[in-house]
Amino acid sequence: MFELQAGLSVQEKLHILADAAKYDVACTSSGVDRKGGKGMLGNARACGICHSFAADGRCISLLKILMTNHCVYDCRYCINRVSNDVPRATFTPEEICELTIEFYKRNYIEGLFLSSGVLKNPTYTMEKMCEALALLRGKYQFNGYIHVKTIPGASDELLAMAGLFADRISVNLELPTEASLKKLAPNKSFQSIINPMAKVSNTIAENRLALGKSAHMERSWGNQYLRGSIFAVGNGGIERDDNDKIVKNHLSDVSENNISNTDKNGIVTSDNSGVLDLSGMKELSMYGSTNHIRQFAPAGQSTQMIIGASGESDYTLLQTTQKLYQSFDLKRVFYSAYIPINEDSALPSLDTAPPLLREHRLYQADWLLRFYGFQADELLSEDKPDFNVQLDPKCDWALRHLDIFPIEVQTASYDMILRVPGIGPRSAKRIMQARRYGSLNYDSLKKMGVVLKRAHYFITCGGHMMFKTPIEENYITRQLTAVNAKENWQVTHTEQYRQMSLFDDFGVS
Amino acid sequence: MRVFTCKNRFEDMMTCIYDAWEYALKHGHGNVKLMREPVIQYSFADEYVHIEADEEKTKKVVRSIIRSISYGAYIYVYYATLYYEDTLDDIYRFLNIGFREGAKVTTMLTEPSVIRMMEYKRKVGNEIHYSREFIRFNSIDNKVYVCHWEPKCDIIYMAATHFADRMPSEHFMIIDDNRKYAVIHPADGEMYLTDLSEEELLRLKQTEQYADEYRNLWSTFFETIGIKQRENAKCQRNMFPIWMRKHAVEFMDGKNEKMK
Ligand code: SF4
Repeated sequence: MFELQAGLSVQEKLHILADAAKYDVACTSSGVDRKGGKGMLGNARACGICHSFAADGRCISLLKILMTNHCVYDCRYCINRVSNDVPRATFTPEEICELTIEFYKRNYIEGLFLSSGVLKNPTYTMEKMCEALALLRGKYQFNGYIHVKTIPGASDELLAMAGLFADRISVNLELPTEASLKKLAPNKSFQSIINPMAKVSNTIAENRLALGKSAHMERSWGNQYLRGSIFAVGNGGIERDDNDKIVKNHLSDVSENNISNTDKNGIVTSDNSGVLDLSGMKELSMYGSTNHIRQFAPAGQSTQMIIGASGESDYTLLQTTQKLYQSFDLKRVFYSAYIPINEDSALPSLDTAPPLLREHRLYQADWLLRFYGFQADELLSEDKPDFNVQLDPKCDWALRHLDIFPIEVQTASYDMILRVPGIGPRSAKRIMQARRYGSLNYDSLKKMGVVLKRAHYFITCGGHMMFKTPIEENYITRQLTAVNAKENWQVTHTEQYRQMSLFDDFGVS
Repeated sequence: MRVFTCKNRFEDMMTCIYDAWEYALKHGHGNVKLMREPVIQYSFADEYVHIEADEEKTKKVVRSIIRSISYGAYIYVYYATLYYEDTLDDIYRFLNIGFREGAKVTTMLTEPSVIRMMEYKRKVGNEIHYSREFIRFNSIDNKVYVCHWEPKCDIIYMAATHFADRMPSEHFMIIDDNRKYAVIHPADGEMYLTDLSEEELLRLKQTEQYADEYRNLWSTFFETIGIKQRENAKCQRNMFPIWMRKHAVEFMDGKNEKMK
């Protein structure tokens, strides 16, 4: 392996360590609102702020770097694996801080996304990462956004420390089944990923309770009205008693379904997953930029799965996604279309195109779970395990349920309105408000953001449809496929990276 | 019809609304029209009155919007005054409904003027958000941070409130190159606005050419972080429109502009 450590300039290191970090998809700075303060540098906005868009169209919000791309592990899909001969570099904690601070002041970034290869061992690596974060929050009084990726296998103490300095913490699942993980990431085990995930999840909940908040992460406004939402009580999520203590978090279901297919008794249960001990860390958490104790990972936890490196169906991926939201109350699940970088018999060949449309369909479905009250089982099944290439998952669902359409927008319930292709959470909310004061017409629907070229097949307004179109599957499918085809490639890449639904309803409306 | 006209500033517009309203109480709302200056096309049938800003009247209008309608309605009005086209008459009609119907006016989306106000708020809001994203500061010896910006809407003050919270203990300024004024933020101090002369503007313009190693580091990062196999210039253009790139370090001097 060739070592370039000595004498590398910061510019050279930045090139190597940004290049090695670019495959991690998450770059959002969302999920937490925090005001600035005198003497400090930084604030945070819950909606997230993008600062640029790279040549691939993805949002750049954070300084996304690895601390080091040295790694003792040999994950087959990873450019940094020990068996690869690539230039290597390591940032010092001071270098990380200075880049973050100076970029931040020039408004290039919202903060830092720090990940790392495994240097020596997980604990040593995590220690170094925490050192950088401590400096940043302490000496540099940095109050902006920090997302830290934890290294599977690091000690609980370091995990607790990382969560107190960071806004968001993530453990990447990478592959949705234990078999794939064994095959492609031989040094990692399911246990070493699920365990910290569960601990972080429980600690976030306990910490929220201690601060007088509800144990659950905030979800979008509309979810409270969606009976079928994956976040609704009794729909398979974490169950709590009157004191909000976890009674059951359904991890056993996870193992039976797909996250693991070996351990019938459940990988982790709430009894043995445990909570991280933050009590010894009071001083540490005050070491930061605020003079009160920092909240543990206020922007929650996220994870990432690679799409297309292993053989799982969309159905498996989506079910896993749903379980991750329900069992660990994750804030986000990210998907990353596999890009072949290593010549490896276990992986797709180097000339395989990254499955971008598939990735896009999964993101659309993820939005349907989080904002539209859909469940994974409604969108896919054992018989139909993969998404339709031509149609987005919502249109696809609507076409399979033509018997309930058209619905009358003047009177239909919020959850039904939200299921109409072409209507998103924002336009649905506007419809609910506006119809209390006057009657709607197609023109006003359009102004409220309804995409009529999709919606008009499925609604009546004041008792009549916009055009006299048949409610007939083949007919509507043909029309919608034409609409979709034009947008697939545009929409695919434009909307999935803009944080939240600032401007549009994400192409699934 | 009497047409009330005024300058393109908040106080002037609020005063204009006050005076038009007073006149309309005697002659009817249908017999007044409000316009921002310059008036492009005069009509022979109408009578034009220019209104000058008045602090008391401004305060009265703002107070009654917040009290009798809602704070949310005030935000609609405020944002509409920042819009780059003339919105004054729409604001007036919106307030007309607002004083009649109360707080629910902002949800009455079957009313054309309410829908238009919603549009203005959305567009101005988007541009404020864009500014938080794409504004770049140039460091002058790590002492002062200077930003040049050319927004369509008049939003640099709104943008500056975000940065005042973000870096309260830094000296910085945001300059509207076209409207020729700046928001100045002294470290740990209160922000203020100041008009700029041509000469001052020219001198400040040079700050974008100032040598600063972090500009190069940023360009390195920017060029590295994109994934080649996913290249998508079209998407990049949708997300970061070309006209907004003028002051972004990573695109300056024609860098990284692919027209594929
Ligand atoms: S642990 Fe695996 S995925 Fe992470 S850097 Fe090392 S080889 Fe890559």
